[in-house]
Amino acid sequence: MMDLSSLRAVLVAGKGGVGKTTVTAGLARAAAAAGKRVLAAEVSYEIDSPTPLADVFGVPHASEDPIAIGPNLSIALLTPHAGHLHFLRDALPMRVLADAAMKSAAIRRFLLAAPSLAEMGVLYRILDLLRKRRYDGSFEHDLLIVDLPATGHALGLAQVPSAILKVVTRGPIHDAVLEGLRLLTDPKQTGTLLVTLPETLPVSEAIELARGIGAHKIPLAGVIVNRVPNDPFTVEERVALNGMHIDNATMLGARSLPRIDRAKESIARLKKELGHPPITLPEVLDETQLEAMMSDAFGIGRSK
Amino acid sequence: MRRADNAPFTSDLVRDKQVIVCCGAGGVGKTTTAAAVGLAGALEGRRVLVLTIDPARRLAEAMGIPAGGPTPARVPRELVQTGELSAWMLDPRVVFEDMVRRLSDTKDRADRVLGNKLYLALRDLIAGMQEYTAAEALYMFHESGDYDLVVLDTPPSRNALEFLEAPRKLALFLDEKIIGVFLPGASGGGGMFWSRARGLVSSVFDRIFGEGFMGDLQSFLSGFSGMFASMRGHADAVRSLLTSDQSSFIVVTSPDSAARTEARFMQEKLREMRLPFSGYVLNRSWAYTRGLISPTTLGVGATPEAKSAIAKLEALAAHEQRLAERDRLVLNELRGDGACEATATPHLGAAIEDFAGLLTLATGLREPRAEKD
Repeated sequence: MMDLSSLRAVLVAGKGGVGKTTVTAGLARAAAAAGKRVLAAEVSYEIDSPTPLADVFGVPHASEDPIAIGPNLSIALLTPHAGHLHFLRDALPMRVLADAAMKSAAIRRFLLAAPSLAEMGVLYRILDLLRKRRYDGSFEHDLLIVDLPATGHALGLAQVPSAILKVVTRGPIHDAVLEGLRLLTDPKQTGTLLVTLPETLPVSEAIELARGIGAHKIPLAGVIVNRVPNDPFTVEERVALNGMHIDNATMLGARSLPRIDRAKESIARLKKELGHPPITLPEVLDETQLEAMMSDAFGIGRSK
Repeated sequence: MRRADNAPFTSDLVRDKQVIVCCGAGGVGKTTTAAAVGLAGALEGRRVLVLTIDPARRLAEAMGIPAGGPTPARVPRELVQTGELSAWMLDPRVVFEDMVRRLSDTKDRADRVLGNKLYLALRDLIAGMQEYTAAEALYMFHESGDYDLVVLDTPPSRNALEFLEAPRKLALFLDEKIIGVFLPGASGGGGMFWSRARGLVSSVFDRIFGEGFMGDLQSFLSGFSGMFASMRGHADAVRSLLTSDQSSFIVVTSPDSAARTEARFMQEKLREMRLPFSGYVLNRSWAYTRGLISPTTLGVGATPEAKSAIAKLEALAAHEQRLAERDRLVLNELRGDGACEATATPHLGAAIEDFAGLLTLATGLREPRAEKD
């Protein structure tokens, strides 16, 4: 399995409720423990919306500017607003013009209402955070791990840059989007981590999503199947159970049997479709175990 | 009408409301719940449309309808004998283009907007923007008079209520004064302030989007300009439908604590927005154990394998019992000492495999049940 900690950005993607946030936090802890300066970030379109990532870290508040929450570990909110503001400050000749623009009701409403400009803002903010350097020239954040929002549309952020490039053919937005697209499609810098559940439908969707991001040339770093149920039965015991002709729907305990079977099938299907086995995480897992599993799975060196 | 003892709060809604919106975090089974709510309405003899967001192919199969079509498809009569049930997977492009055609005074003007270079380039992106069109679609089908009840499965976004804000945001932007700033030679109220604002906008846009973009944007917006007043009026009408007592908002959640945090946030947000919140549906819970039998009824087992298999099944059963206790606590917590309504759906595994499963869920939303024996 590839070493994720050699990348600059890891995008954690998947449907809602599959455990993206938990995986983001586990990976961030593992990479920070290995000595990387890690920024774990979640996308927030509105300031007062819930911040599940900050909650997982037990931090009451997250803000647009990174906050250090432990050795080598910071968290931040990625908002379209911060992206737009930093973009305008970079693109316009005077800072005062950018600030005036962001205060202009017309421009603010345009940025809020125009489709995909919000995603653009988030993308620009990602670029902006990755470019930050310290006085000694090293990166402020070696590794940015983004807990992507669940979108109905499988590809979400992935297809925004190429669509924008079609419309905006020159100027600073064009250049910034091009830079963003280069970063997103460079396997040395960016990797996507797909998180899914061991069930029929989520796995079909994960396979579709993996193909979709492939079509947009965004590198896939790995697939994680979360909450895999433990199978306590030996093959012989299952044969014996099957011989008892139990109605799974009406017997306590037996409702778990079809779930165990579906999990096995769906993991086998992922392996077949994607060419390599996914990483599986058990149903019950504490923070330390998760951190260790992420370290092992992604070859994050603990030899500091 | 007061419902029977033990009847879930949803039983009133599916009988009386004209609009039911299902909100909730991703992965809690919102789409399936929306379909079950719709079926429950049809079982009341009503004509129901379910607007789904997810391309839930299996659910569509279970309902006997094609997964993606340009218009709603009706569930076969063999499956739904009382009432009518139709479903449609929201296609934002169809909804948007339909709205433009309806609000344009001439066909020519509609063609100009929909044939604009900027629109054509962004059309594929619009296909992913359900939040912009979910409220519009809801309103459109409600107004059509073809349905007694429209059920909406909301788009999965971190702020799941964003779709409610989208028409308002659009309406704010479409304020004549604001839009005037983007249009060439428009009389945006005149005066020093507006001419300065226009100057700022065009200098900012020329610099950041490059020359040429502003021209495309202006031609797109001028195509729209005759529609602004009706679009604004429209956004207001959508909002007043959703805040009226004809509408109801249900928050769907799973027992998972992150999902519950989000559910509570949504409930507060709904109240803040003065939208009619009706209660929580607890999905994927183990709370109801009534009628389930214990593995001990299997005896001790004839062979060593059977013996150990039954013992392990008993351990799983004990685990399910603990989950049931936990989920009943969750349900009580959601009810907040009677401050809120909450009901749990029967546990059906992760996916609805067939119409019978959907029917079980729908029945659970309509009929009285006891949690346990």
